[in-house]
Amino acid sequence: MDNLIAKAKTSLPKSLRAGGPPPADARSFGHIPNKKLRTHLTRHSAQAAHAKALVKDAELLLETDAGGMEVEGEMDRTWRITQDEIVKEVGLEAARGRKEMVLDGGPYRSRYTRNGRHMAIVGLKGHVATFDWQTGTMHSELQLKETCRDITFLQDHSHYAVAQSKYVFIYDRDGVELHRLKAHVEPTRLEFLPFHWLLATIGNTGHLKYQDTSTGQLVADHRTKLGACTTMAQNAHNAVIHLGHQNGTVTLWTPNLPHPAVKLLAHLGPVCSVSVDPSSGGRYMSTAGEDGSVKVWDCRNWKGAVRTWNPRGGSAEVQWSQRGYLAVASGGSVNVYSRRSIYQAFPGTPPPPLYLTHPIPHRPLQSVRFCPYQDILTIGHAHGLSSILVPGSGEPNFDSAEADPFENRKARREREVKSLLDKIQPDMITLDPEFVGSLAPESKLTTGDTDVPFARLPRLNRLKVSGKADETEEVSDAEDTGKTQDREEREKRKMRGKGKSLKRYLRKQRKNVIDPKAVAIRAKLEKDRNERKKAREAAKGIAADHKPSALDRFKRTL
Amino acid sequence: MVKISVLQHAPSTHLPARPGDPTPTHRNLDPLLHPFARARERTRALNAAKMERMFAKPFLASLEGHVDAVEVLARRPESVTDVASGSWDGEIIVHNLARRTHVAKIPGAHKGKLSGLCWADEERILSCGVDRNIKMWDVKPLAVFPGKFSFNSIDHHRTDPLFATASSIVQVWDETKSAPVLDITFSTAAETVTRIQFNPSESSVLASIGSDRTFTLYDVRTGKAERRIVMQMRSNDLSWSPTFPTTILLASEDHNLYTFDIRRLNNPTQIYKAHVAAVTTCDWSPTGTELVSGGWDRTVRIWKEGQGTHPEVYHTKRMQRVLSSAFTADARYVLSGSDDGNVRVWKANASEKLGIVTARERAAIEYRDTLKDKWQADREVGKVQRSRHIPKPVYKAGSLKRTMLEAQRVKEERRRKHTRAGESKPKAERKKVVIAEQT
Repeated sequence: MDNLIAKAKTSLPKSLRAGGPPPADARSFGHIPNKKLRTHLTRHSAQAAHAKALVKDAELLLETDAGGMEVEGEMDRTWRITQDEIVKEVGLEAARGRKEMVLDGGPYRSRYTRNGRHMAIVGLKGHVATFDWQTGTMHSELQLKETCRDITFLQDHSHYAVAQSKYVFIYDRDGVELHRLKAHVEPTRLEFLPFHWLLATIGNTGHLKYQDTSTGQLVADHRTKLGACTTMAQNAHNAVIHLGHQNGTVTLWTPNLPHPAVKLLAHLGPVCSVSVDPSSGGRYMSTAGEDGSVKVWDCRNWKGAVRTWNPRGGSAEVQWSQRGYLAVASGGSVNVYSRRSIYQAFPGTPPPPLYLTHPIPHRPLQSVRFCPYQDILTIGHAHGLSSILVPGSGEPNFDSAEADPFENRKARREREVKSLLDKIQPDMITLDPEFVGSLAPESKLTTGDTDVPFARLPRLNRLKVSGKADETEEVSDAEDTGKTQDREEREKRKMRGKGKSLKRYLRKQRKNVIDPKAVAIRAKLEKDRNERKKAREAAKGIAADHKPSALDRFKRTL
Repeated sequence: MVKISVLQHAPSTHLPARPGDPTPTHRNLDPLLHPFARARERTRALNAAKMERMFAKPFLASLEGHVDAVEVLARRPESVTDVASGSWDGEIIVHNLARRTHVAKIPGAHKGKLSGLCWADEERILSCGVDRNIKMWDVKPLAVFPGKFSFNSIDHHRTDPLFATASSIVQVWDETKSAPVLDITFSTAAETVTRIQFNPSESSVLASIGSDRTFTLYDVRTGKAERRIVMQMRSNDLSWSPTFPTTILLASEDHNLYTFDIRRLNNPTQIYKAHVAAVTTCDWSPTGTELVSGGWDRTVRIWKEGQGTHPEVYHTKRMQRVLSSAFTADARYVLSGSDDGNVRVWKANASEKLGIVTARERAAIEYRDTLKDKWQADREVGKVQRSRHIPKPVYKAGSLKRTMLEAQRVKEERRRKHTRAGESKPKAERKKVVIAEQT
């Protein structure tokens, strides 16, 4: 009884349960003869369709609307609006996102945590800091006094990795050095795959290495054979690593393949930046090269770029936001392009309509990062970092189960444990993440008639099905003498080393066996041949059962 | 004029209003915010399957007391805890499962083997033995019904003061009379009837199995044997379904269990195949959704009703051949009595957590169960769910049996291939079971 009560408490409310007639988009399984299986599948698909409809309904419950800029006049343009105007317009609280951090120590790079609450910055000269940018609490600040090329948070702000001059180092939130990853030599870029707990690094040696940060194992070490690499991005939806190389190629890597899954000649010079669009489920990739062009690619169809343009100022840095705005930092300014217009294929190389632009006079602009769940873009440059407001770039509604900017300490610890339990194995990374749970392709070892499973076939048939049978000298009863001669000829010319005892045995087995199936097939072929002959004759104009007659000579020929 | 709005999260909606309040959570079901949802769910399902196997500790207790094999187990009506057991040395013990104590112990209740035991009502026990006596007990003997043959089985009517015994004949007795009131043996039978049971809902219907490979139905009202079937192999035990009055379960010598619909006795409704030796005992759960069986292969198996393969299998190092089995009245525990003189208590669901389960825990358990069900077709998840470690002799016997059956099948197929087409058709397994039906 207690069980029943508890069950009633935890089960779905009645309004959410699937009931009534199945939705219109539920699949039907009428072709499946097994009644139990059919009912099972029908129920599952009805449930899935119902759930889908409910998800659509749930969009009504989203609280926050996305930001944006709208101009009224026909001649007005959003890109004419400066940051000062935006800051004046949006009010004090939102304007806190606009910041200028003036720092010494060379061009800076930055990185946000997945919930957008914490920020890590690293200067080329070795200044590292992590902090909660909303409350302004500093977690750690280090002067490492050596070249530091990149920084990334691990699962959350409690750990971060820094690519230093020789190795990758892992620090905890307070800046205590925890690990020195000696296997990662001269790293240049770091990426952390949060659902697989993998730290991917690429360095001057051109080796792409995956380190499992939960077990400490080096999962994979791929030699790219394309020299030093300074450009790396991850596709957040399938955990594929995109690398841009010195010879203009972009390669896509997974830990389970020793060669790139895709190799693409993207630019006519070194690739200087790669980014993947999270708003389209990783469908679009943009690259920027030293040849001065920015390209947008469709990751499903690599035949040519969707769109190409040449921003002012040469080599650019590109980054997509959560809602599909593309930031391109080149020369002395950052340009943001709105979504849709970027995906549309366009002849020639005009730039897409600009959404927002902002000049920064501190070259080089080295890193461009959008803050998740905020309308903020952070640009790292020679004199520190600038954060600007890009209305509409951030996803307005977060999901607390995935990334919550307001989570407390307990929730963070809980989520860390949960995500460790849900860790996906590295060999499940593929270009198509939907392969999990989809139907396996049909086995190649299928027999013609489905009643007899492969294991129960006679050996000869099994060999035939698996393509291993020696079918060079099939004995056919219908063969006439000419063909027999052919066979003798063939046997005479047969290469040495083919007269295995097994084959002799199999040949003997085939002799004098009247296989009813073979006889039936032969009869069918014969019938088909006759029919075809008749059809051919009919096409020529000779009647099917026409005997030549004397009157044929008067027939009009066409 | 220009309209500008920048995203800002008001802390008031995202932080607890007062200290101590739970932090508000927000949901966005957009699939783009949940990357790898399927892969993560699969990992969760795999973990759930592994956890189920990790927590599968079904053995709870061994109730000692008997010095010889435990032949029969009978649970007391209207009680969750009390179970009577009788052994080959003629001893009856009433166990209390919750406290694991003996409520009553009657040594030497019968001379020689005690073969049948049942509860007449909540207080009194009826027992029979090979010493040709039926005895009624309320700790001390209340009545003795002397018979002419050694008895094999006894069962009491659900409501009336009647009971039936099986010996070389089937007899119906009145509690108040010392001689049988009815002799309802099938007219042409000359066999030893081994087990007998009243239908719990259609309470005057009686079923028996005999050494002549037969299964017979009787009606006490007409005082006649109604129908009989002869099967390929003899049955060792029978049990009426508690929820479907027409369904009966037979434990057969041919390693299988069969359920029959007594309205159509020409073939069984379901075959339960997994034992690798004769099945000696079977019982339904009180819910009618599960079955328990024990066999000569020293294993106890728990089946889902209607699912003829992949039962849960229980075994221990010291458990010998299982002679008796029973579900408890709450359907959560299973009892098995074996050749080694122990009554063992098992969980019906091997990985079930005993004790208080909070609502959150219950929700987690239900979620895990759903995941396991949803992903059972996945190769890894299914493998974890299906695989069981079983004793080497059982495993070997299973593979040997499979080989033999396969060889038989191949031989049959070849024979058919080389006879004239259409002369012999393959016969379904279900059609092979019953040889003859007699009325």
